[in-house]
Order: sequence, then C-alpha cells, then structure tokens
Amino acid sequence: MQTNQDLSTQFRHGVLPQTTSDEFSRQEFVKSLKFHLASKVSLGNQNAFEARAKPAFTKATGGAPETYADIRRAMSDDPYYNFWSAMQRNSQEMMWKSVQIPVERQLPELIAKAGEASGAGTLRLDPEMEIPRYHRGVDIHCMPGGYHTEFTADDVANGAVYDSAVYIYAMGRMGPLNSDIGDTTIAWIKENHPDFKPRRILDMGCSVGHSTLSYCDAWPEAEIFAIDVGAPVLRYAHARAESMGKTVHFSQQNAEATDFEDGTFDLIVSHILVHETSNAAMRKIMRECNRLLTPGGLAVHAETPPYRDLPAYDAFMLDWDTRNNNEPYWGASHELVTADIAAECGFDPAKSFEAYQPSAFEATERRTKVFQGGDFGGGGAWWLWGVQK
Amino acid sequence: MAESITLQKKARGERPQYFADPAIDKALSITLALAGEVAVLRDRIDTIERLAESGQSPTRAAVDAYVPDAGVRAARDAWRDSYLDTVLRIIHQEREELEQRAADTKPYAAVIDEVEAGG
Repeated sequence: MQTNQDLSTQFRHGVLPQTTSDEFSRQEFVKSLKFHLASKVSLGNQNAFEARAKPAFTKATGGAPETYADIRRAMSDDPYYNFWSAMQRNSQEMMWKSVQIPVERQLPELIAKAGEASGAGTLRLDPEMEIPRYHRGVDIHCMPGGYHTEFTADDVANGAVYDSAVYIYAMGRMGPLNSDIGDTTIAWIKENHPDFKPRRILDMGCSVGHSTLSYCDAWPEAEIFAIDVGAPVLRYAHARAESMGKTVHFSQQNAEATDFEDGTFDLIVSHILVHETSNAAMRKIMRECNRLLTPGGLAVHAETPPYRDLPAYDAFMLDWDTRNNNEPYWGASHELVTADIAAECGFDPAKSFEAYQPSAFEATERRTKVFQGGDFGGGGAWWLWGVQK
Repeated sequence: MAESITLQKKARGERPQYFADPAIDKALSITLALAGEVAVLRDRIDTIERLAESGQSPTRAAVDAYVPDAGVRAARDAWRDSYLDTVLRIIHQEREELEQRAADTKPYAAVIDEVEAGG
C-alpha cells in the first residue's frame, strides 16, 4: 500500500484507476515527453524569435514586434515554433488516450465503487441542469467529452480520466493529490487573513475535488460545499473524497446561478475555473459570489498570471493554449482587471486584490520557473485575485 | 463479463494544422506514438530483467502486475530523457543552431569576408 508520504507519484485513493505495467509506462512516457518539451525544447522558441522571426517581422512591418499579439504574428510561420507546437498538441492528445485506455477497461468496476461510496459527505445531481455553452462548444483542453459528457448510466469515466491526466499534465508538480492550487490558495489566505475562520466554504468548478479536499484540513470546523456542471466528475469527486475520509457536500450546479441562500458562505474559492468560462459568465459568477458571501467574506480565484504582468514574449508563450489546446477563453481571461470586475459586480473595488503566492508543493528540481504553454505548474507560483465583501 | 463501454476519443473542436501538408501532421503523430511504444517496450524489458535479478519468474502476469518503486521510476525518467534527446536529435540540432544565431546574429558571409580579408 502506497502511503501519502511518497511524493513522487500519484496517491492511490480508493477510486483511482488501476494500470497494468504497460499502461503505466505509456502514461509515464507522456509525462517525460511533456517535461522534455517544457525543459529542453520550448526554450528554443525564444532563440527562433530573436534570430529569425523578430528580424523578419521588423523588416516586413518597419517596426519591431512589441505586444504578445505582434509576437504571435511574427512566430506564426516559424518552423521551429510550429514543430514544437505540433509536438505539444500531440503530447496533450497522447495524454488523454493514455488515461482513457485503463479507464475504459475498468469502467464498470469504477462505477460500482463510486456507487458504494458512503460517509458523511453528500452528492446531489441535477439531470435537468443546462450545460453552459462554453463547455459544449469545444472540449476544453482537448479532453474528449469534457467534464459533463456521460457515456453510460451513472458514469464516472471523465472524472477518472481527468484525475489521472492532471497528474501527467502537471508532471507531478502539483503533488500526489494534484492539490497544489488549493494548498497555495489556503496558504495565501492564512498568511493574509490570519484570524479568518470561515464557517461555510464553497469551491466553484471543483471537478474531481483536487483542491476542495485541502479545505477540509485547513479549516476542520468548516462545512465544505463544492459545485461543478459535470455529473461524471462529481460522482467521482464524491467517491474519491469518501475514500479519503473527507466530508464534502457536492452538487451539480452552474456557478453563475446557484440554489444556495444569500449570505451562505464566508469563503468562496475557485481554482482554474475562471479561464474555462466566458466574459459574460465570469461576471455572473462574481455577482453570484457577491450574493452568496457574508459581509467580510472572501472570494478568491486562482489562475496563471495576467499577461500585463509578463514580458511580451512570455505572455505569447503562455497564450499558446488559447489557439492550440481548446481553451477559447484562456487569452481573454488573462486580460481581466480585478478592480474593474469587482466594481462591475457590486463589490467595493478598494477591497479587491491581486497577489502571487509561491506553490505550496515543493518540486524545485522539476520547475522551469516560467509560465508557458504546456508547462502547467512549472511556474512555481499561482496568481490569486478576488475581493472581500 | 460486463458490456464494454467506448469513450469518445477525439476532442470536439477543429484540430489545428501545423504543416502545409496535412500528411506531415499525421506522420508526426504516428512517429510520436511509436516513440512512446518503444519506451513502453523498453520498460517491459527492464521489468523482466529486474524480476529475473530478484529471482522471480518473469511471467506475463508478473510483468503486467509489476509496480516500479520510486528508485526505478527515477531511473526510467532519466532513461526516457536521454532517449528523447536521441529521438529528437534534429530538433535539438536546430535549437542549438538558433541559439548560436540568436547570440550572434552576424551573417556567416560576414565571417567569410572577415577571414578572407585576413582578420
């Protein structure tokens, strides 16, 4: 039995899909390919830009590329960049395939295990809930079927697929439980609001609960609620939480309009949710946060840094996902200005904040320390934005 | 035997085309998948050798059930990284050339001129 002390592999909770040695090797290859691309191949893009694309752009337009959009135009025909992009896209598709094979093989058992999950936590599904358009348009980050598609009755497939894939995607740098974004958000809250004792906490867009469960340990007296639009991820999240003895109340709800009463929560968090919504939806979500928070309560959203905080070349590399990884709102979400959103959504903009918090999980030797496409969790910090009501 | 359930394999959304000829996109995808399968086979050989070394019979069942410990995983990570250095040689060669050019954007012709001029 593997224990939580082994920090170099994914924690084997009760519903994690099993792998044969070949299936595991195939997943490990994808993880190695991603790390090789991020640590050894990706940096050549900057040389291609300096040596080739930048002089060509300058010659053609009469001015050097200045914005990340200029750099994207300059690099669009560069053969090194396009070959790296193609390999990066393939690594993503290979990742999903490598985790789908074992899930497909053992899906009936996974569904049975999830059905048997029991404990103090709850699961409330709403088959009538409309899946938002921004999740139906394309399958976000190329996960076939997204968070919501059900391939059979009581399906948990894409919960299991997502859980295994995130570990590969982040190359293990979010820890054995893929919990780094939650742990990091909690560290920031505790450092900046040491006396804050939330009684009820809501995690919006929780997927399989990677970040959610950290809140159970951070504030053991609090009641933890978590919502998502996808039934398969919620069934899996519930079973995963129960297998680890964590009490969470999961429900299938759109964060834009929930059925919780006004002023239910002292703390509302989201972890890499916002970039998977839309300009209209994220404003509705912030208005919903305003309705649901108690006075003095906090809304905190964790994401990767806004482009304005990065050199133009780095912003261009971080923007890769927008056009290459089925992340249509990635780019626009990285242009959000917290104080403006707060003001629009009924909060006091003076009580809004933007902050960087170093990753809680120690993975120094495998971090590239840059924010770039295909290197999720490599930056060693998360960008937190939000507001106090 | 429970009925088998087939998952959707292609993500919805138009796949970007990275090369002028779409056949090159396909050939690259196949090449990378094959590179992965070579790594899977290499791990399988490594498993057989390790089972044999520890006195166990390397049967199919034993190989399929083998779970590498942290030390074996680290050794395999290191092998895959140097394996990818080998497989992606042509990419690393271009990267090295671009690195040199970025560091010194002086055209090669200018170096010839310099040498011919006696510099």
